[in-house]
Amino acid sequence: MKLLHLYHDIMNLYGDYANVSAMERMLTKNGADVTVDRLSLGDKAEISDYDFIFIGSGTEKNQKTVLADFMKYKDELSEYIRAHKLLLMTGNSFEMLGKSVTDGHGVRYDALGLYNYTTVEFTGKRITADIICTASFLDKPLVGFINKSSEIFGISDSLFQTKFGVGDSEGFHTEGIWDRNFFGTHLTGPILIKNPHFLASLASLLLGREPNTDHLTYEQKGYETTLRKLSEREQAKTEG
Amino acid sequence: MKSFLTILICKLLRFAGRLIGKGSSMPGQVALRLCPDILKRIELPKYVVAITGSNGKTSTVEMIAHILTKSGKSVAWNREGSNQIEGVTTMVLSNATLSGKVKSDIMLIESDERYAKKTFKYIDITHYVITNLYRDQLTRNGHPEFVFEAIAESIKPDTELILNADDPLVSVFGHDREGVIWFGADELSTDTKELISVYNDGAYCPICKAPMKYSTHHYNHIGIYECTSCGYHREDTDYTITAVDMNKGVLEINGKYHISLALKSLYNIYNILAAFTVASLIGVDGEKIAQEMNDYVLKNGRVINFTLGERKGTLLTSKHENSVSYDHSIRVACACEQGADVLIIVDAISRKYFTGDTSWLWDIDFEMLDNKNIGDIVLAGTYVNDLAARFSYTDIPQEKIHLFEDIDKAAEYLNNGRKEYIYIITCFSDKEKILSEVEVI
Repeated sequence: MKLLHLYHDIMNLYGDYANVSAMERMLTKNGADVTVDRLSLGDKAEISDYDFIFIGSGTEKNQKTVLADFMKYKDELSEYIRAHKLLLMTGNSFEMLGKSVTDGHGVRYDALGLYNYTTVEFTGKRITADIICTASFLDKPLVGFINKSSEIFGISDSLFQTKFGVGDSEGFHTEGIWDRNFFGTHLTGPILIKNPHFLASLASLLLGREPNTDHLTYEQKGYETTLRKLSEREQAKTEG
Repeated sequence: MKSFLTILICKLLRFAGRLIGKGSSMPGQVALRLCPDILKRIELPKYVVAITGSNGKTSTVEMIAHILTKSGKSVAWNREGSNQIEGVTTMVLSNATLSGKVKSDIMLIESDERYAKKTFKYIDITHYVITNLYRDQLTRNGHPEFVFEAIAESIKPDTELILNADDPLVSVFGHDREGVIWFGADELSTDTKELISVYNDGAYCPICKAPMKYSTHHYNHIGIYECTSCGYHREDTDYTITAVDMNKGVLEINGKYHISLALKSLYNIYNILAAFTVASLIGVDGEKIAQEMNDYVLKNGRVINFTLGERKGTLLTSKHENSVSYDHSIRVACACEQGADVLIIVDAISRKYFTGDTSWLWDIDFEMLDNKNIGDIVLAGTYVNDLAARFSYTDIPQEKIHLFEDIDKAAEYLNNGRKEYIYIITCFSDKEKILSEVEVI
């Protein structure tokens, strides 16, 4: 199996790299032969060579720098997604697959345009929130954190329903995008560590079977702690 | 009359608050409600020095206040570290006469980096120190570039900037600006050619985003750097750490002043250098500063010595959600030649707000603890499993790692007759939970 962590040294804000480490360990523990490539600005990745591609979150400025470089992958990525290959993008990285990103000064940047959604950034304001959300393909909720300075409009196939926290934009309870085996979410950081059932679900797409998850004891307990803490918080807010 | 009453009420509230042990924000909050521009109406001293940045603010301010006071100058400062506009207002008004004049020689203000613009709207500061920009409280602050924008809005054209030249994110404040005072370190014996950190916030030029090259790393993204494209580079320094001997614990400034270190940490030496710079600019002699900084032990409770049964140890207050501060504490523990056990506690992530986010654990270079000087590693607190998961991705032998959800059980385990020193690494939000289990010296 070939894994690619793209823009690993610039879209790397919240420990997102651990998603690649988690997938690498999961596949290895399940008997796969795994290699990981870490590429960045100025490199040329052979997109179709990979079985799993990951991109994480960056600062608003870094996202624009990356976007200029990322444009070259437009056709290959489109092909990759249509071939049902696995792509995970967290934080503001998945904004780059929409039509455009408009920054806080009103400057509009064309994005790859594989999807019709658009992103509008704020000036001097961030949306940060602990999140509990659900996905139709998972039997347990997910936990995580959103840390963004933007809103996204026009996603028709959402990845998550947020139960606690925020969605794509003000007042929305839908979050992220799901198309075939492309998963894009504004959840930040090591979401596959925090949600071992999500990791198992993505790994099953690569392995073609339910993976063995015996090595995920800490992750499982950590998930339960966070879910309990966030649920208590949600409860307190509802009552308060 | 309005000023008079506002100052009077603020002073009374402050007095009453002290009696009942209340914090220092409330009186300023009331004053600002009574008279929103009260800060503009106060006559300030000749020197109004502000300090902001991610880390080191409280320690640096305390050191400057110490040096200046010992040099016979009167200093007004926010010693409680209450650093948003309300706390600063309390401090200013508490030090003002009822006619609205601060009579101290120097006013020293620690300011929260994100809200500095609000605080300094009405206060004209003469000297503005910016220590560093790290990933800090990202659940609140987002990321360093976001904090950069907030600080940039607080800088006025005629303020003298005093900047850490070794931090490429901070140096941008002085890019194309005249009269900046730069402090920083020459290449040091503790430097590394390659970066030792999980991530590099100096990998790309903050101005043009081309790759940056470092000739030397002091720690994390702090070092001597140059952009490969636009020419942005680390500036020559006016106040310089010219050498450091971490074994002996001696720091040399400007090639001639020697200071012996109570805390052998690179962290500490930057705070001392920033304090040296400010005190020098105010006119204190270098020898006098060195004398006052010799073996100076911070009084702000960030470093606490204790015993646990027969064992001795030190609590290094680190900040959750701040990987650089953890990296520094880990380096201090690893430098312990006699051998040390380490206890890391993550129980409440913040004391100010709720979050369950532990992403920041993945930015800490725990790998450094795979070191011959480190014995047992004890992990504790509500988020012990998140810590354990993080440690499972290091090369540290898993048999060295011990897990306790209950902090008192972790203390009980460590009270086991081993001879090794103990370092406790945790945050303000969690430190009292372990201090109640040990004897503070």
